[in-house]
Amino acid sequence: MAGHVPMTYGETSVSRKTVKGGSPLIKWAAISAALGFLLLFLVLPLMAIFVQAFEKGLAAYAAAVSDKDALSAIKLTLIVAAISVPLNAFFGIAAAWAITKFHFRGKNLLMTIIDLPFAVSPVIAGLIFVLMFSSHGLFGDFLFRHDLKIIFALPGIVLATIFVTLPFTARELIPLMQSQGSAEEEASMTLGAGGFQTFWRITLPNIKWGLLYGIILCNARAIGEFGAVSVVSGHIRGMTNTMPLHIEILYNEYQFSAAFAVASLMSLLAIATLVIKSLLERAGKEQAGIKELKE
Amino acid sequence: MSIQIKNVSKRFGQFTALDQIDINVDTGELIALLGPSGSGKTSLLRIIAGLEAPDHGSILFHGENITSVNPKERGVGFVFQHYALFRHMTVFDNVAYGLKVRPRKTRPGKQEIKEKVKELLELVKLEAFAGRYPSQLSGGQRQRVALARALAVEPRVLLLDEPFGALDAKVRKELRRWLRKLHDEFNITSIFVTHDQEEALDVADRIVVMNQGKIEQQGSPEEVYEHPVSPFVYDFLGNFNLFHGRLKEGGLDYGQEQAEGERGSEPLKAVGYARPHDITIHREDIGGECIKAVVHYIHRVGPVVRIELKRIDTGEFLESEMMKEVFKELKLDAGEQVYIKPRELKVFIPEDYSI
Repeated sequence: MAGHVPMTYGETSVSRKTVKGGSPLIKWAAISAALGFLLLFLVLPLMAIFVQAFEKGLAAYAAAVSDKDALSAIKLTLIVAAISVPLNAFFGIAAAWAITKFHFRGKNLLMTIIDLPFAVSPVIAGLIFVLMFSSHGLFGDFLFRHDLKIIFALPGIVLATIFVTLPFTARELIPLMQSQGSAEEEASMTLGAGGFQTFWRITLPNIKWGLLYGIILCNARAIGEFGAVSVVSGHIRGMTNTMPLHIEILYNEYQFSAAFAVASLMSLLAIATLVIKSLLERAGKEQAGIKELKE
Repeated sequence: MSIQIKNVSKRFGQFTALDQIDINVDTGELIALLGPSGSGKTSLLRIIAGLEAPDHGSILFHGENITSVNPKERGVGFVFQHYALFRHMTVFDNVAYGLKVRPRKTRPGKQEIKEKVKELLELVKLEAFAGRYPSQLSGGQRQRVALARALAVEPRVLLLDEPFGALDAKVRKELRRWLRKLHDEFNITSIFVTHDQEEALDVADRIVVMNQGKIEQQGSPEEVYEHPVSPFVYDFLGNFNLFHGRLKEGGLDYGQEQAEGERGSEPLKAVGYARPHDITIHREDIGGECIKAVVHYIHRVGPVVRIELKRIDTGEFLESEMMKEVFKELKLDAGEQVYIKPRELKVFIPEDYSI
């Protein structure tokens, strides 16, 4: 997660060139080592999930997936993602915009803080919210008096998810916007466009692929987050269980095929995300490629 | 549109980019801001455009103070150093942008925009490239798109930041002439920033030479070239030779032998400047203050021959330029001993000199 490489346009044609004169032996050794590793640590476990999921037949699979609690977990997960991903996209754009287009004091501090969720363990992230919002927490009295529930309820799960996924869009956009500079925005201003017009017509089109890529990654993490959500959710079946939590409960209750059935659903979501991601990458490259055709 | 720059100062942290700058630009003038990098010329241009705010001072357009007016309302056309074309838009959309973003009341109709853009693309000779993206164009073509885009909004003032900096020499010359023509046709007030003295001398009506945030000199190209007021200006406007010597009545003693002499009481040290084309070479000592030198190297390419010389007395290197015909008459060869004499010597009295 921390090691993903931001999308780069333009330079790809260089990196695609193969090294000439390299020994074929080394080439095949490298390829088979990489493939073998992937097979062992990614493909086999993934297949195991599906094998386990269908171990007791299609009917058991369908039952596990359409179980009341499972459906509620799926619904909750999607709601959490639907709230936290747009908020994070908005925050990411705002932060990247502020950091790359303006000079201000504390800029480096802001960049460091954006990275904080990457450095902090998700469990601690969850505990922070428990300390703040639980009945013995900082705002516990206030919340109790006004009958507001945050911990062990949807708001807490959303907060924890937002915290954990905070850096994704911003991290994706900052290097992109830094490399693009602000000359185009300035040109737009001198041509008579206002701030909003400039953002809508110039900035957004220039960052759209990076933004979508960031959103996709953010979404994948929002759906899959376990640690932080586990701390704040309270594991109330049919109410505050997200998909990863539901899988854990099923597994702990020795309902292996049900657990793997839900896990297979999550895996499908992950695979779909990867497919969309690579389609986006290709679209971004193609867009850059068309423009550089004649250079 | 006349522009007045009044007492403008700008600092970036500890760095003083501009220090009390005063410039008046008349309507229809083409002004060059000339200076090395870090001289503040680009900052000044950005302040005129409203992309940067001055710490002190004011900018007046036609007598009206616009210092705090937003760039979008200033009506300036700005051509950026690296063009800043909108990379996700075609050439057509780039040029049309300024018209499309106008508020509905003043926005021209679709057909009108189309015609206007077509007209501008014809002007910059890029009609055939309307559907291309900026990355599919050459540097010179991009530059012309940037100009067309700036002109589309019918600016009152055209500002150009190192407009030809990134182009190769031939395209640069062509575009330079073209810019001059365009400026005259549109009857627009233009200011361009450059570090290339040749460009400034070639195109501008008036040159403002800047150094370390201050104006060194302003005047017509002839004025600044022929009568530089400081060593910096002399230095910046072309190649030169230095003659170290001592002040004497009516000039500078630069011959080593005399300078070392005990003539007069404490003659003041000074430096004389001479352009290479003002260094004459003779086979015989023609009297006056001739200096003995050895021909070190001869560059023969082109109509002007450049000759590197080494002074025998001080060992300093000098450079002379002469037309090929003159050179042929002299029949010089490397290693030969000759006599040289500066036809004209510009002496700057050191600042701490007082009578």
